[in-house]
Amino acid sequence: MATTTATITISSTDLLTDELALSTTCTLTKTTTSTGIEDTTGLNRKKITSTAKGTASGQITLYTADDFAAIAYLYVKNIATTAGHKIYIYDDSTSGDPIQFQLDAGDWGFIPMHGDKTYKAYSPGGNDPDIEWVVMGTDQ
Amino acid sequence: MATTATITLASADIAGDPVSVTKLMTLTKAGTTNDLDQSSGLNRVHLRSTTNKVLLGANAEGNDLAAKVYIINKSEDASLYVTVTINAQTVGKLYGGDFLFIPWSQTDTDADIEVAATNWTSSTGDIPVEYALFHEDTDFLTNA
Repeated sequence: MATTTATITISSTDLLTDELALSTTCTLTKTTTSTGIEDTTGLNRKKITSTAKGTASGQITLYTADDFAAIAYLYVKNIATTAGHKIYIYDDSTSGDPIQFQLDAGDWGFIPMHGDKTYKAYSPGGNDPDIEWVVMGTDQ
Repeated sequence: MATTATITLASADIAGDPVSVTKLMTLTKAGTTNDLDQSSGLNRVHLRSTTNKVLLGANAEGNDLAAKVYIINKSEDASLYVTVTINAQTVGKLYGGDFLFIPWSQTDTDADIEVAATNWTSSTGDIPVEYALFHEDTDFLTNA
């Protein structure tokens, strides 16, 4: 059994009148058990050359629906360093391809997913940003 | 007025080589390097509803503005989970101890962040949930 942890720390010395220092760690386990997850896609990195969702080419598939059992943990980061070079992540398995997240340059997200949706990414500004991501959980 | 969020993913044994990913993000206003300057603070609610409740209400002015959301299920019962939805789309499922951190794009006024204690019953006890919003719009208000 592997032991994998995710730790988030949010801090600021001047956003509030008191110092902000929030830190928490969760151990990534198989659903409803204390058994650690054992599978990962590894850390991926690709350049996004698509400027639209739907049938346009150059989109990046981050995760394919039901590839992992619930819960699958997605970490994703927009590697661009120029503000405004956004990456849109959309749900390709739902009618209308709704956009789920917009990552500006340098943004990252960490999402425990149900795992039943296909996520793809494009960059509406045509800036060809790089994206990094990893999925961890239980392959099926 | 910099606020930073750092994530560390670590495992010594999930792969053949150790995994250690640490990334820091400075929370900035959309399309700029100016720091986000507003926050809801850390809130705590106790969920006892299997139907969706609005945790953070979307604001039409929020479209294309930056907002980051942190939500954690503080239940110590690993079987109790919280479903997180945006625009009626499930975006996350948090079992006890799990957290999420996402940029929140309020593409329209239906983009509320809603939560439900999906498998709650009167015998399971409440599910404590903590959350914080970091944003740039003066009109965002939490209504939980």
